[in-house]
Amino acid sequence: MSGPNRRELVYFAAAAIGLGGVVGFGDAYTVRIATLVGIYAIATIGYQLVFGRLGLLSLAQGALFGIGAYSSALLTMKLGLPAPVGLVVAGLVPAVLAALVAVPIARLQSHYVALATLGLAQLVLLAATNLEITGSANGLYGVPPIAVGTIVIADGLAMLGLVWALVLVALVVSRIVLAGGRLARLATLRDAPHAALTLGLNPVPARLGLFAVAGAMGGVAGGLQAHGLGVVSPAVTGFEVMVTILTIAVVGGRGSALGAVAGAALLVPLPEFLRFLDGSYLVAYGVVLLAAIVLVPRGLDGRLRERFPSRPPRLPAAATPARRRRGKALIVDGLRKRFGGVTALDGVSFSVPAGTVVGLIGANGSGKTTTLNLISGLERPDSGQIRLGGVPLGDRAAHHRSGLGLGRGFQHPEMPDGLFVLEAAAVGTRDRSGAMAALDRVGLAERAGALVSDLGAAELRRLDLARALATEPEALILDEPAAGLTGDERAALAVLLRRLAAEGLAVLVVDHGMDFLMPLADRVVCLDAGKVLAVGTPEEVRRDPAVVAAYLGQWVAA
Amino acid sequence: MIEAAAQLVVNAIALGAVYALVALGFVLVIGAVGAVNFGHGELVMLGGMVAVGAAALLPVDTALPGLVVLPAALAVMAIVGLAVAGIAYAPLRHAPPTSVFIAMIAVGLIIQHGVTAGIGPEPRLGPPLVDTGVLQVAGIGLSHQQLATIATAAVLILAVHALLQRSRFGRRLRAAAQDPEMARAIGIPVNLTIAVSFALSAALAGAAGLLLSNQYLVTPTDGGMLMLKAYVATVIGGWGRIWGAVLGAFAIAVFETLVAAWASFLVAEALLYLGVLVVLAIRPQGLFGEAAGRRA
Amino acid sequence: MTEETPNDGLTGETPNDGLTVRDVEVRIAGKSVLGPVSLSVEPGTVVAVLGANGAGKSTLLRAIVGLAAVARGRIWLGGAEISDWPPERRVRAGVGWAPEGRRLFPGLTVAETLDVAAPGNAASRAARIEAMLQRFPMLADKRHETAWRLSGGQQQMLAIARAVIADPPVVLLDEPSLGLAPVVRDRVFEAVRTQADGGSAVLLAEQDIGRALAVADRVVVLSRGRLLLDWPTEVAIGNPNFEQALIGA
Repeated sequence: MSGPNRRELVYFAAAAIGLGGVVGFGDAYTVRIATLVGIYAIATIGYQLVFGRLGLLSLAQGALFGIGAYSSALLTMKLGLPAPVGLVVAGLVPAVLAALVAVPIARLQSHYVALATLGLAQLVLLAATNLEITGSANGLYGVPPIAVGTIVIADGLAMLGLVWALVLVALVVSRIVLAGGRLARLATLRDAPHAALTLGLNPVPARLGLFAVAGAMGGVAGGLQAHGLGVVSPAVTGFEVMVTILTIAVVGGRGSALGAVAGAALLVPLPEFLRFLDGSYLVAYGVVLLAAIVLVPRGLDGRLRERFPSRPPRLPAAATPARRRRGKALIVDGLRKRFGGVTALDGVSFSVPAGTVVGLIGANGSGKTTTLNLISGLERPDSGQIRLGGVPLGDRAAHHRSGLGLGRGFQHPEMPDGLFVLEAAAVGTRDRSGAMAALDRVGLAERAGALVSDLGAAELRRLDLARALATEPEALILDEPAAGLTGDERAALAVLLRRLAAEGLAVLVVDHGMDFLMPLADRVVCLDAGKVLAVGTPEEVRRDPAVVAAYLGQWVAA
Repeated sequence: MIEAAAQLVVNAIALGAVYALVALGFVLVIGAVGAVNFGHGELVMLGGMVAVGAAALLPVDTALPGLVVLPAALAVMAIVGLAVAGIAYAPLRHAPPTSVFIAMIAVGLIIQHGVTAGIGPEPRLGPPLVDTGVLQVAGIGLSHQQLATIATAAVLILAVHALLQRSRFGRRLRAAAQDPEMARAIGIPVNLTIAVSFALSAALAGAAGLLLSNQYLVTPTDGGMLMLKAYVATVIGGWGRIWGAVLGAFAIAVFETLVAAWASFLVAEALLYLGVLVVLAIRPQGLFGEAAGRRA
Repeated sequence: MTEETPNDGLTGETPNDGLTVRDVEVRIAGKSVLGPVSLSVEPGTVVAVLGANGAGKSTLLRAIVGLAAVARGRIWLGGAEISDWPPERRVRAGVGWAPEGRRLFPGLTVAETLDVAAPGNAASRAARIEAMLQRFPMLADKRHETAWRLSGGQQQMLAIARAVIADPPVVLLDEPSLGLAPVVRDRVFEAVRTQADGGSAVLLAEQDIGRALAVADRVVVLSRGRLLLDWPTEVAIGNPNFEQALIGA
């Protein structure tokens, strides 16, 4: 793990000053507020994993907080278990519940995620308010303070210390969860879902894991509050807690764990500062949230990043790629696909032998992109087969096809937000030197330390190609890789693709210009209205009367 | 037995009429700008409070107090709707959709706590539309309030229908909702249609609030549950489908009334949320929605 | 690939009465995707814009309508410069646009679609709608049919009718033949020629080269954002450079 960067130093300095001040000069009341800040920080650090890293507007974190509170309270009060055990359970129960709902929720379109999580939260609130075991509307009183052996953590400073120690633990856990390239992979899953699948990234384990960790942190925070206050009321599962967490997450900067701590430090004491407004201090919360989302959408952390941008990653030396790979032939056989009433593909068959470049041409709507989507597994054919290296791909999920050696380039590549070029290129492989080599091959080596957001459109397409190459594919399918490139860049791309074929890859290139494909392709397949119109060398296809007629129209051929 | 059943039916229809108004306003904004107005429930509550306040200004024996107050409530809430559009939607037009969700949550918070801070958290009684009388028909008690509620809601819904389907402005509003860029390219003032959508949505919310305020009282914390029901109605009726949401709202009202009579209101609520979760787990696109395509 | 321009169609500095585009360039993320491109369309003529996908045909039309930000260059509608006008203003001044894929409003009926695009009071709108239904007989008995229920050809006719109902001096049509059967295409192209004969300046982006050439007075070929040639149709037909430009584009 690299050392702390300047941003983190700012955060830690602020925290040290803040906590030091509270410990040294604060009265009991201030200490309690600071403890509450820590509790909300823990809950929000967990929330940032779902809200920021998965990109889901979940509204259930408050409910998970409450479940943790009730779990720990009940365990210690009814079963007499020691509080540390209660806290562990307070983390486990919400974690399991969150993991259970993670997969169905993540399948929902964004406008339903909020509803589904809100519905779950409402159910939890109803249960808490109405069940005997939870004390109904009155809640539970007399929750014992945390005790380890004979040491009772009842008084303010001890609790403060415990909570903030756990804040530190939460930060470390959050860092570990995102380490080892996971941060880049999550960003790619969130911002470039189709590309992520073709790069071999499976969204399901990520969702399960992050939901569970978020649930655990929310639950532990709730448990801490239960023991700290000695009281659990149903309000703890209500919308107020959720809104506080959401506001802290937005003000702190969506996705940022340290920002969550800063946001909590600002927002939790806010009602106290605004007491002079009497009842209207809660209005101020709403105003702050609105102002934050409109004026400072990237939050405190975003602002801090502008002042202290992240250091680029260390650039490894480029690995020397194997000069001769096996390469796998790609065979498409009788593909048929209908969308609604429209027949996109009507029995398309062709082959791409290993070590060759095959061009796929055709007019708009002729079925080229659909063919590529079927090969990469983003759509399923109605009938027909796709074989890679003799192995039928059948029903294999898209993210498994990368492991079989298939790489894909996109016409309008989606790119993850906030990553460096090297990180974005390395998502499909564990090997950064391999990614560096891929960047070198597409001519982006000097940009490896730049931010993806600083790249121009043509450079992004080359990055898309690099991230596919980094997975060391044995067959490569590319959707208009030359669009938007200058003449020199196109020539360089043609050279690269020829070289890849010479190394053994099967390369399928969709493009529009015979001027690009003539020197490049060994064979050309021309599609028209979902069928194969002509197959042959570029020269043959170009002179084929059927192709000429399709391009030039009936009256010229006649 | 029959009387009891008939009574339930009347109750369900009256409740459904109001829920339909709430859902209609909610879905108008979804259709117009693709945004979920999390604060919509609070707009309904605010409408109820406006009705309470306006009624307090009337002389004591005014006939048809609720109906007299209705136009004022509609007008005030329309202005509120324009304000919401200007403050919480317009600055975020080009931001990712989640930003608008969050901004609307903030709007709801501001309204709810603003009302609580301003006039206190107690429930308040709104004016009856007509009076508090009850009509006895074949053993069933039909309160004047229920009858007037159904009639008023019906008139408003039909008026909105007429506006959207039979007027040029309504057609242009629908066109702008379906394809804003294309609408601009044929000369439709899309910013205006969006503003009107928000104003209309808030006005309908206000009317619903007024209608609810007499039988159910108005409490500042009412908003969340009402918005949730409108949201559920769109799951039932199809995302962005106006008449689907209205039907969905009626379905919710019928379900609630029947289940509450058989078990309890609590059970009705719980089953409603469970039902929605089950629907979404099985069909992530909602009951009548189309599965999202996955073209790269 | 020579860029012969036997007659470049731009007469001096004064814009003509139709559509004039001068040195227009569109950039996306700093990279030029179109241009610089110059062309003009006289009233009563059809100019066909040909080229493969991604060549920039749609971008050019969108730039003229005002939906694609123009980095450089100027556009005139008749004598008025519209370069800085928002789309609504250009449309009201007289630019009609039928985009690629038609983009009809799915929930509106034929009559409603025409009504929202027609200018003037209720009576004049009704008159214009009648005129459109007469001019496009394929729509005549579909007045109350919702747009998404129409056949492909009917939808295309409606899209064109929507673009021309306000009698705009400039009409932009983006691939109107897409997805249509040959017989229906013939009718579409007839409608295009009729529109020009009525006085409009028509800019037609197309992939059906044969039919486009049959109705066009001039033909422009774009390739990867650049203008390769701008010739009268009779000069282009049978010219080997022209065929090269098309197949290679």
